[in-house]
Amino acid sequence: MTPALDIKDLSTHIQLSRSVVQAVGNVDLRIERGQTVGLVGESGSGKSMLGLSVLGLLPNGGHIVGGSIKADGQELVGLSERELRRLRGNDIAMIFQDSLSSLNPTKPIGEQVAEPVRLHRGASKREAVDRALEVLDLVGLPQPRQRLKDFPHQLSGGLRQRVMIAIALACEPKILLADEPTTALDVTIQAQILELLDDLRDRLGMATLLVTHDMGVVAGRTSRINVMYAGRIVETASTEELFAGMRHPYTQALLASIPRLESDPTKVLISIPGLPPDLTRPPAGCRYAARCPFADAQCRAEEPPLTGESPDHLFACWHPVDGPVKTPPPLIVDEAAAAAALEAKKPAAAEHLLEVTNVVREYPVKAGLLQRQVNSVKAVSDVTLHLDAGETLGLVGESGCGKTSLGKLIVGVEKPDSGSIALDGREVFKLRGSNLRVARRDLQMMFQDPYGSLDPRMRVSSILKEPLQIQKIGTAKEQTEKIKATLAEVGLPLNALERYPHEFSGGQRQRIALARAVMLEPKVMVADEPVSALDVSIRSQVLNLMKRLQLEHGMASVVISHDLAVVKYLSDRIGVMYLGKLVEIGTGEDIYRRAAHHYTDALIRTIPVPDPVIEKAKTEAGIRGELPSPLNPPSGCRFRTRCPRAEERCAAEEPVLRAFSDSHRAACHFPLQTPLETALANSATGEHA
Amino acid sequence: MIAYIVRRVLVAIVITFFVTLVTYLMLHIIAPSPAYTVLGPKATHASVAAFNRAHGFDKPVLVQFWNYFTGLVLHFNWGFSYKLDQSVWSLFKEDFGRSAYLTIAGLVLAILIAIPLGIFQAIRRNSALDYSMTTLNFVLYSMPSFFLGLILIQVFALDLNVFPADVSDNITTWVQALTHVRQMFLPIITLAAINVASFSRYMRSSALDALAQDYIRLARAKGLSERLVLTRHLVRNAILPMITLIGLSVPALIAGNLLIEVLFNIQGLGNLFFIALGNEDYQILLAYTLFGAFLTVIGNLMADIAMTFADPRIRLD
Repeated sequence: MTPALDIKDLSTHIQLSRSVVQAVGNVDLRIERGQTVGLVGESGSGKSMLGLSVLGLLPNGGHIVGGSIKADGQELVGLSERELRRLRGNDIAMIFQDSLSSLNPTKPIGEQVAEPVRLHRGASKREAVDRALEVLDLVGLPQPRQRLKDFPHQLSGGLRQRVMIAIALACEPKILLADEPTTALDVTIQAQILELLDDLRDRLGMATLLVTHDMGVVAGRTSRINVMYAGRIVETASTEELFAGMRHPYTQALLASIPRLESDPTKVLISIPGLPPDLTRPPAGCRYAARCPFADAQCRAEEPPLTGESPDHLFACWHPVDGPVKTPPPLIVDEAAAAAALEAKKPAAAEHLLEVTNVVREYPVKAGLLQRQVNSVKAVSDVTLHLDAGETLGLVGESGCGKTSLGKLIVGVEKPDSGSIALDGREVFKLRGSNLRVARRDLQMMFQDPYGSLDPRMRVSSILKEPLQIQKIGTAKEQTEKIKATLAEVGLPLNALERYPHEFSGGQRQRIALARAVMLEPKVMVADEPVSALDVSIRSQVLNLMKRLQLEHGMASVVISHDLAVVKYLSDRIGVMYLGKLVEIGTGEDIYRRAAHHYTDALIRTIPVPDPVIEKAKTEAGIRGELPSPLNPPSGCRFRTRCPRAEERCAAEEPVLRAFSDSHRAACHFPLQTPLETALANSATGEHA
Repeated sequence: MIAYIVRRVLVAIVITFFVTLVTYLMLHIIAPSPAYTVLGPKATHASVAAFNRAHGFDKPVLVQFWNYFTGLVLHFNWGFSYKLDQSVWSLFKEDFGRSAYLTIAGLVLAILIAIPLGIFQAIRRNSALDYSMTTLNFVLYSMPSFFLGLILIQVFALDLNVFPADVSDNITTWVQALTHVRQMFLPIITLAAINVASFSRYMRSSALDALAQDYIRLARAKGLSERLVLTRHLVRNAILPMITLIGLSVPALIAGNLLIEVLFNIQGLGNLFFIALGNEDYQILLAYTLFGAFLTVIGNLMADIAMTFADPRIRLD
C-alpha cells in the first residue's frame, strides 16, 4: 500500500539577502494511514520547515531544492500553486502552535471553520455552517451552536486550539501536520488536546505528523519518531526502540537532559555544551560533532550516512552509543564554602527566614459609567507559607493559579492587599527609606523571558554593576572584582562584559540574568519560569548552574514553574497552587509519591513523561475541563468543579490545610492520604514546620 | 456599549470645557478688549471705558469667559467680529460648508487611494514598484502643500488649461461648491496627495504587520488563494490602526486647508482665519482656534467609537 505521506531526500533552502540557510537537508520520512509519526528537534532544527515544505507554504525566500514529497502517491514537489491550493486544507491540513495568533481576531469562529468547507467542497453557506457545527462538536467544543458567533479572544487557549483543530479537520484531510500543537497550553489542557488528536486519528484514519520539541509529548502518542538536528534526520526508530535503545549521542543527551519526576536531585542533568551550528555555513562532517563528547577526527571530516542494522532503526553516527545514559554524574559543590555561606544567611531574629502569612492579592475589575469596581481577579487568596535559609521552595500550578503574583509579592515588587510578608522577622512592607532599600538587597528576582528582562542598551558590565551602585556596595574596584568573579561563576567569558544582551544566546542571557540576581548575595531569590523560554538542550545547563549557585551561595529560593519536573529537580519543598489557593505543600517526595490532594495527583499523572512504556499505559487524560475564572472562583474547595471526588461538602465548606506529616500539608476534605490526627484548627494559624 | 460611549462623550465634554477656558484666558492676555480695534488707536480712555462697559469687557475675566461659554453652548454664539461688524457664526456659516467639502472630499479621496496602495505595496514589498511608490510618497510627504498646489496650477491650469486655478469667481455658496466639482478639483487633489503620502506609508506598515501574522499563514494553509487571503483576512485587520490615524487627521486637514484655500482663493474657514490674522480680529481667531480644538476632540471620539465597532477585541465594559 502506498504510504499516506512519503518524503524522499528532501532539501529545503531559505534564501536570505546575503546567505542561504540550508534548513532541511536530505530528509526521508514516511507516514502510513492512521499512523502518528513524531518529529522531534530543537528550535532551528528545521522541523517546522519540513512541515511547511509539504504544504508549499515556506516563508519568503524558501524553496525546495531537491527530493520528492508524495501524498497518497501524488508528487507534490513541482506542483503549481493552483494545484497545491486544492490540496491545502483539503487533503493536507496543518495545526499551528499559537491558537491566539493563528485565528483571525476579527472573524467569528464559525465562519473560520466553515471557510475551507465552502472553498473545497463548494458547499452552500448553510451546509458549511452545518459542517462547522459537526466538526466543532467532534473536537469537543461545548455548545458549538451558541459559540459560532464568538470571536477567538472570547475563548480560552484550550478551546481555541480545538477550534484550530476543527478548521484542519473540516474537510477530513488524509494528512494532518501538527506543528507544536500543545506547546502554548497548560499540561492539563495539553493532555486533553493530545488525546483528542489521538482519538480523531483513529476515527478518521489520518496520517499525522506530530512536530514537537518535547520528548514527553511524542513518547505516548507516536508509533515512530524521527529526531532532527541541524536540518538532518539523525535517528529514526519505533518509539519504544528509540527510548529504550537509542544509538545517536544527540538523542541520548536530549533525553538525559530532561529533568524527570523520578530523577535524583543530587545528580546533575546531562547537558549538551555549546549551540547548534549556523545553517548558512553548516560544518563539513557530522553536524553534531562540535557538541558531541564522542567526536573524533572522522566525525569532523566526514558526514555519517543514515544507516543501521535494521531498516527500522536508522542513525547517522560514526560512534553510536548503546541506549540511555545509565548513571548521571553527581553534582559537585564546594561543601565548605556552601556551609559558610548558609551560616551567614541564617535568620537572626525569626524562626524562619521568610514568613508569608495569610497573604491576599486581588486585582480590581472596573466597569460601568463611573468605572466602579464590580469584581476582582483573585490572584492570591490567603496563602501562608515559609522559607528557611538555603532552602528551595518550588511553586507549581496551571497558568492563572497565582504563582507569579505570589512570587512578585515575595520580592516586594507588589503589595499584598492584606496579610504580611516578613523577612527575618521584619515586615517588608512596613519598611521605609534606606531600610527598605537594604531589605531589597536580600530579595532578588530572575525572570522568564531572557530577551525582555535585560536592558538592550546596557552592556553586561553595566547590567551587573547597577545593583551594586544602587546599593552603594564597595568601591569601584571592588565592584569590578565582584562582577568578574560572578561572571566566572555563571560560566561566561570575561569579554562578555563589554557586550550587549542581543549578542548572546537565550541560555547565555539567562546566565547573565542569574548573575544579576546573585550579584547582591540575596538571602532569597525568586526565579519565575527560569528555563521555560529555553531550548531543551540549553535548559539543563541553566538548571545545573542554578542548583550549584544556590548551594554555594546558601541562597534560599522560590522557583516558579508550570513544569513539576523542573520544580522537583530544583526544590526541597513544593507548593501546589490552584486558582490563588495553596492546596498542597510538602517535600518533593511527599508531593510526588504521597500526593494527598486530587489536583496534585492529577497534575502528576498528566505530565507527559519521556518514556513510552509509562505514557502508553496511561488510560485517562487526567484533569477534565478548563480552569474556572479567577473572577468568580467556585465556592468551598476551588478545585471541586474538576475533582473526581467532589461532594456537596466540597461546595459548602472550604477545606483547610491539614497535616499529613511534619512537612506535608494539603487542603482537601477527601484526601488521598490519611491525615495526622492533629489537624490544624484553621488555616489562619498557617503552618509551623 | 452604551455606557462606554456615554462615558467617552462625557469625557469629551469636560475636555472641551477646559480647552475653551485655557484658549480664552490666553487670548485675553494678548488682547483683553477689542476697544482700540473698533474705536481706533487714538480713542480716549473715557470712550474705551465706555465701550468696555457697553460690551461687558470691564467684567472680571472669568465672568467674561462664562458669558462666552454659555453663549456658545446655549445659543451657538461664537462671538462677534467688531472689525467686520458681524457675528462670527454668520461668517462661519457659509465658509464652513466650503471648507468641509474640501476637507471631506480630500480625506475620502486620500483614504480611497492610500488603503489599496498601502496594501498593494505591502504585498509587493521590496519590488521595483514598491520602491518607486515609496519614493513618490516621500516626495509628496516632504512637499509643502502650497508648493504642490503651485505645480498643479502651472501644469493643469496654465499649461494644459483643463482646470481653473482660481475658484472664487464661480463658487459663492457652499452648495455651489458641491456642484462645481471641476472648479474644486485641483485643491482637492492637492489636499489628497499630501495625505495619501502619510496614509499609505502607515497603511503599508500596518499591512506588513498583518501579513506576518499566523492567521494569514493559517488562511493559506486552508487553501485560500492569495486574493481571498487578502480580502477575507488581511484587509479588515490591517485597516484597524488606520481608524485612529484618520480620526486624528481631521483637524490637521483643516489646518492644511489654510494654505490651499489661500492659494486657490477659496472663501473657506482657512481664508477667513488668514484675513482675521492680518486684521488682528481676535474674536474670529478665538473661534477658529476653538473650532480646531473641538474637531480634534470629535475626531478622536469618532475614531474611538468606530474602533469599538470595527474591532471585536475591544472590551466595552
